[in-house]
Amino acid sequence: MFTLNFLIRRLAQGVVIIFLVSFLIFTLLRVVPGDPVRLMAGGMAPEALIEKIAKDMGLRDPIIVQFGRYMGSVVRGDLGQSFVRPANGASTGGSSFNDSTRGERAEVLTLILEALPMTLQLAAMTLAISLVFSAIIGIAGGLYPGRWPDKVAFYISSIFISLPNFWLGIVLALLFSVKLGWLPAIGYNGFAYTILPAIVLAVEMSPVLIRTLVGSVSSQMTEAYVSVGRVRGLGRTRIIANHVLRNASVPLFNLLGIQFSSLLGGVIIVEYIFDYPGLGLLTINAVLQRDFPLIQGIAIVTSAIFVLINIVVDLVATSIDPRLEY
Amino acid sequence: MALLELRNVTVALGRSDTAKVILEDVSLSLAPKEIVGVVGASASGKTVLSRTAVNWLDPPLVRRSGSVLFEGRDIYGMKETEMRGLRQRISYVGANPMGAMDPTLPVGAQIVEKMRAVMPDVSRRQAQERVIELLAAVRIPSASSRFHDYPSQFSGGMMQRALIVDALVTNPAVLVADNVTQPLDVTVAAQVIRLIKELTDQFNTAVLFISSSLPMVREASTRTLVIDRGRIVEEQATEALVARPSHPYTRELVSQTPKIWRGTETLPALPEDREVVLSLRDASQTYRVKKRSGLGGVNLVRAVRNVTFDVRRGDSFAIVGESGCGKSTLMRLLSRLELPSSGQILCEGKDIATLRGRDLLDFRARLQLVLQDPFGSLPPRTSIGRMLEEPLRTHGWRDREKLRARVLKVMGEVGLAAELYNELPLGLSAGQRQRVNVARALVLEPSILIMDETLSALDQAEQFKLLDLFQKLQQEYNLTYIFISHDLAMVRKVCNRVAVMYLGEVFELAGNERLFFDPGHPYTMALLSAMPTLEDKRYKPEDCLLEGEPPSPLSIPTGCSFKSRCPRAMEVCNGVQPVLTVRHEHDFAACHLVKAEIPLIEDSVEGASA
Ligand SMILES: Nc1ncnc2c1ncn2[C@@H]1O[C@H](COP(=O)(O)OP(=O)(O)O)[C@@H](O)[C@H]1O
Ligand code: SF4
Ligand SMILES: [Mg+2]
Repeated sequence: MFTLNFLIRRLAQGVVIIFLVSFLIFTLLRVVPGDPVRLMAGGMAPEALIEKIAKDMGLRDPIIVQFGRYMGSVVRGDLGQSFVRPANGASTGGSSFNDSTRGERAEVLTLILEALPMTLQLAAMTLAISLVFSAIIGIAGGLYPGRWPDKVAFYISSIFISLPNFWLGIVLALLFSVKLGWLPAIGYNGFAYTILPAIVLAVEMSPVLIRTLVGSVSSQMTEAYVSVGRVRGLGRTRIIANHVLRNASVPLFNLLGIQFSSLLGGVIIVEYIFDYPGLGLLTINAVLQRDFPLIQGIAIVTSAIFVLINIVVDLVATSIDPRLEY
Repeated sequence: MALLELRNVTVALGRSDTAKVILEDVSLSLAPKEIVGVVGASASGKTVLSRTAVNWLDPPLVRRSGSVLFEGRDIYGMKETEMRGLRQRISYVGANPMGAMDPTLPVGAQIVEKMRAVMPDVSRRQAQERVIELLAAVRIPSASSRFHDYPSQFSGGMMQRALIVDALVTNPAVLVADNVTQPLDVTVAAQVIRLIKELTDQFNTAVLFISSSLPMVREASTRTLVIDRGRIVEEQATEALVARPSHPYTRELVSQTPKIWRGTETLPALPEDREVVLSLRDASQTYRVKKRSGLGGVNLVRAVRNVTFDVRRGDSFAIVGESGCGKSTLMRLLSRLELPSSGQILCEGKDIATLRGRDLLDFRARLQLVLQDPFGSLPPRTSIGRMLEEPLRTHGWRDREKLRARVLKVMGEVGLAAELYNELPLGLSAGQRQRVNVARALVLEPSILIMDETLSALDQAEQFKLLDLFQKLQQEYNLTYIFISHDLAMVRKVCNRVAVMYLGEVFELAGNERLFFDPGHPYTMALLSAMPTLEDKRYKPEDCLLEGEPPSPLSIPTGCSFKSRCPRAMEVCNGVQPVLTVRHEHDFAACHLVKAEIPLIEDSVEGASA
């Protein structure tokens, strides 16, 4: 019963958040310099034509009117059409200003739905690698505070945190792909192409996970239930596996919800470096091309994912620890 | 043959020769089905002794010499796995029930886990059935649904009982109980002791009952050992020990145990027409708590309900009751940390809710709080002198010489040496810390002091010294005290007037002698019967001891809120809420049994104190 209440409340909050994010992005896009119509129509197009196209597209209406119109179609599931991308794929530079056959522009939703699974696959891979790695290093560190596993955890996380992701991406690509030829690096042509970018992202994520785990495991080990557990007749392994790790995972889940947003930044850079056709690459291109509807659509989709992930994380955390309030 | 035997055990803090010795040459033995008591002051080594007995010494504690034999075998000579197997037969319950289990798993599941860890042959079903059976045996209400509740949903008393189930679930031969009743209210403590005795009978378990309270040990055990600074100084059959203590330390322990009905000095009588300094008129406090279910719904917690009484200048006024009865909420109302949701609190005739500016500052100086925890409440990096100057500075004192002189004077009055002026509070004992707290309240020359469980963390001897100090200060400065306490023995010794609270309501308001010799409310009588004493009780637990715990303040029963536990409940108690009724000129009780002559109506404040 509370789960249902919780879901309704959080989804309602989520809708508000998404709405605000869209409005913010929408406004920002329209006040920053750079006229998308000029880019679409090309540098040579006459001023009057540009004005006409812009008027036809509604780009000269007050922002609030434009936003209302936009949200109106969004709730009907229509994220609009890209300014620059034709439906058939490759993006156009838009030199042919007299070619304004708008029906051929790609649907934003289609573009996003093509890129999203790629990024989700990358994210899942990243999560798997970083969780397994951080769990091994972090739990060992937390169980032996002050001893060598703790120091190892500390050094690893210090080193990882100081590696810039673009540098690491390039080095790994050179090493594993160019030099050793073990893993493919550029573009996407099968699952193996996810591995290198995922490693780079995992390296970026792990330090915080490791430090959180070391801290939460070692503080759980000093709780009374651990030492009392021994006298109650529970073995050390059982206490750690059934109780300490369970309690220590709560801060980890909460952290994952927050980490997601910083991971987003990493995804953009890593996808760009590896030319990985996910949401990050789509975003960069959309920004470079002033493709307002696409940027807008990506913002809505990512903030929706952000809201969903945080709901899931809170559900998991509260189902582990009943004392947490929804 | 002894079941459990400690032979000349010495335990120290570390291996070096200079390490502090905590237990010195301790020997004791426990026969099957026997309950043996160990009594001693705090820091005498009781906890270390109980841990030694169950092979649970963590560094820096080291067993230097001696052995602990269980059925003749040295438990310190065993392998880890063998010892873990023995945990089925040797159980332990400690003084801190709240931290003892994983907070994220249901209590029942954890007891089942423990049972199956030491008895792998038991199936999950069998284990679950046995746990529910035992939870019911220790009188946890609706055991089969409580089985699925989490530790945070249990009260301290219920958790302690759950841990007793946890200890007994494997049918152990020995149970080591270290100060198990210490965190509990007297009523619950009495239930727990009764339970332990029944269970030894039922399950043939021998118990090592360790406690800092001699009356508690007397209730529980047949033979008692006295421990003083790590040494066993005396051992006798319990009744003989109480009647004829032979070691000087035991004599001291016996003589320091407070007396309730026999041989107490009567407090000097105070004239009835003293000025009223604090007056509660129908004061209530209701908290709104967010519901866990429902969209944004709130529950109303009625923590204090329609409390009316007067405190007169020079009173030592006690507010007593079990934990959760609203004592601390009342303290916050009296000290204006919170304003009542309805009703008024008058200080020297003025409603404290309306005080502003200068008046408010004056009120704050006149009424001071001394809180419970002598360890948490002192800032560790501030010197004692500085700490005591602090309140003076907030009240506008600037002159360094005057500040210093005032602080030193107060330090002298509470018995703190002047040398401590520049010291940090780190090295202070619990008693000294509590004195610093008292001094901090006294520097502003208040006229009213509210003591919220101020002495409950101190041991008997230290409590006595502070109570003497309070009495001296009261005479000197004409102070008014309000003691908030669950310790009736202390109340008997120093308070001239007592309010007994239950579920936010005052059930009885009476003078000291009247309350202890002729209580007017069945609840007061139950509290008196549960008090641990060395005398014969005036009220027999068999007649009036309560079962269970107070109902939740979220759903207060209609009619008399005590009816669910009252041994005397009648038909009328279901529908009609009793009001405070005059019994004798100055004493009141809220029970239908009191033949009412003048019912105390809500707005007649005069009635409550006249
Ligand atoms: N782990 C420990 N580290 C340092 N000192 C300890 C430790 N355990 C107990 N002590 C000291 O041993 C003495 C006896 O402690 P304890 O057995 O807890 O007393 P009691 O249970 O009688 O109150 C105290 O002075 C205490 O400070
Ligand atoms: S009014 Fe009734 S239920 Fe309440 S205390 Fe008196 S006898 Fe008991
Ligand atoms: Mg102790």
